[in-house]
Amino acid sequence: MNIRKLAWKNLLRRKSRAVFTGLGIFLGIATFVAISSITSQMEGASQDQLDRFGANIVVSPRTEKLSLGFGDIALGGTEVTHFRLTMADKDRIASIHHKARIRSIVPILMTGVDASGKNLVWMGLPGTEMAIARPWWKIQGGAMLTRGEVLLGAEAAFALDKGSGGTVTAGNRRYRVAGVLQPTGEKEDGMVIADIADVQALAKKPGAVTYFEVAALCKDCPVEEIVAQIGQALPGARVSAIRQVVESRKAAVDQLRRLGFGVSAIVLLIGGLMVLVTVMSGVQERTREIGVLRAVGFRSRSIFSLLFLETGWVSLLSSLLGAGAGIAVAYLASPAFGIDHPSVVFSPAIFGAVAGLSLGLIGAIPPARRAAALSPTEAIRSL
Amino acid sequence: MEPVIHLNDVSMAYGCNGTRATALARISFDIRQGEYVVITGESGAGKSTLLTILGGLQVPTEGVVRIGGADLSSLPADGLADFRRETIGFVFQSYHLLPYLTARENVMVPMSQERIPPREKEERANDLLASVGLAGKEDRLPSQLSGGESQRVAIARALIHDPPVLLADEPTGNLDSATGEQILDLFSEWHGRGKTVLMVTHNKANLFRATRSIRLRDGQVEEDRLLRLLPAESAAV
Repeated sequence: MNIRKLAWKNLLRRKSRAVFTGLGIFLGIATFVAISSITSQMEGASQDQLDRFGANIVVSPRTEKLSLGFGDIALGGTEVTHFRLTMADKDRIASIHHKARIRSIVPILMTGVDASGKNLVWMGLPGTEMAIARPWWKIQGGAMLTRGEVLLGAEAAFALDKGSGGTVTAGNRRYRVAGVLQPTGEKEDGMVIADIADVQALAKKPGAVTYFEVAALCKDCPVEEIVAQIGQALPGARVSAIRQVVESRKAAVDQLRRLGFGVSAIVLLIGGLMVLVTVMSGVQERTREIGVLRAVGFRSRSIFSLLFLETGWVSLLSSLLGAGAGIAVAYLASPAFGIDHPSVVFSPAIFGAVAGLSLGLIGAIPPARRAAALSPTEAIRSL
Repeated sequence: MEPVIHLNDVSMAYGCNGTRATALARISFDIRQGEYVVITGESGAGKSTLLTILGGLQVPTEGVVRIGGADLSSLPADGLADFRRETIGFVFQSYHLLPYLTARENVMVPMSQERIPPREKEERANDLLASVGLAGKEDRLPSQLSGGESQRVAIARALIHDPPVLLADEPTGNLDSATGEQILDLFSEWHGRGKTVLMVTHNKANLFRATRSIRLRDGQVEEDRLLRLLPAESAAV
């Protein structure tokens, strides 16, 4: 017989109490692990979705402002470009050190060309990459864009009085209207969108690109480094990170993380309080037993160890079971939270098991100290 | 002979919220090694309080208690715990066995804090249980034992550290007279082996076994009577 055996025997004797004590930790840790795992996976999934939601870096030619004047009279100014982007620059961007983090590079060419007698801005982009470049576009009619076809912005369609299936004439060539964009509130509402090769031909600028839209995968993304590397690859280009996009992505993910931590903290706190209350009431019920142990020569430290061990075992077991249950729940519930490819995330489970054990032991300290400090006289009076 | 227990002007008062009740008032006496002392008195006379002070479970509000040379009022809490474990064997009226432990395990409880090989602990417990007539019942739970058997287990538990002093608070109070006699026989047997026994009791029959009787009344010694000489003294006479 030793303190460990005594603690174990007492646990077996009070099975329902042990189960109830462990239940608080079990539920707390299971909830914590499940929420943390789901949040972690949602973080990745939402990050992926956000990354798909357009570009976060724009590569355009560097320009200089040139002021014109005569004496004191200002005659306005113009922008002078010393550098022109071409389709070949796409390969240079794709060759940077962090190339693995680049999800897409979409060349865009903007030019003003008559379309069926109306002077409109044409936007050229690779038809096959339209879904990547503008996933939020809602198109009435065909959603595909091939050579010889155009999409019309809502205002452009109104101005041309054309709809899906109609034709637009430009540069002595007829283009079939594949679809009409629903109003976006952006400039493309007034544009004609065509395959970049068609727009290059219309503008008589083969291989020309106005700017590149780059989407970089940004989970813990060093976007500034990517910007710097593209700048090195294209010394004449101006490379700008769209900070708003980057920051909004971070903010959305942070909100998810905070929500997860907040809920988990509350559940863990409730679990800790359950341990405290259960062990405290256990001490009151066991005053007589503690009195016997004190009478036969148990030191305060031994009484403390006895209660601490009992709660420690319960906490350890329920934390491990809770962590396991949390992983299982997270795995099974992931699809309901929009996670297409659920995976097992071990870090919350390890943290949860350690936190559960710590919580149980911390929760056991006040009652164990109270039991250890119980005066032998007080304890013996109940005998 | 040097007294094993020495009480000098020991008082014990309980009080709260301005009220104060005196359980013991300036009690003094010595008990020598090997005495069998029966402490009697009406309810509230201070018998149990005296026993808890002698057992180091509480410290008197005044006076000196010295047992086996140790001044109990100067011992820290852990020192008192060690004193109880090594010097005193307690036997209670209601046995107070831990219900979830077997007879053997109950006897081994006072050794829980000690680094003694488990086999040695078990052997000591088995030997003691055999000496109180419980051979073969070591693995029984208290609920599977009669009152007399439970009290025997409690006596074995009190003796596990071979303490020089046995304190008993009405050890036969919950037993029928025949079983009570068997329990008292056990105390006589251990007294015969040199233990100092102090027993709080209402049972007058105990007086025939004791060497000395102390009667308390209102927290004071009303009568301190020598009933018979110790064996060594008898030999000297």
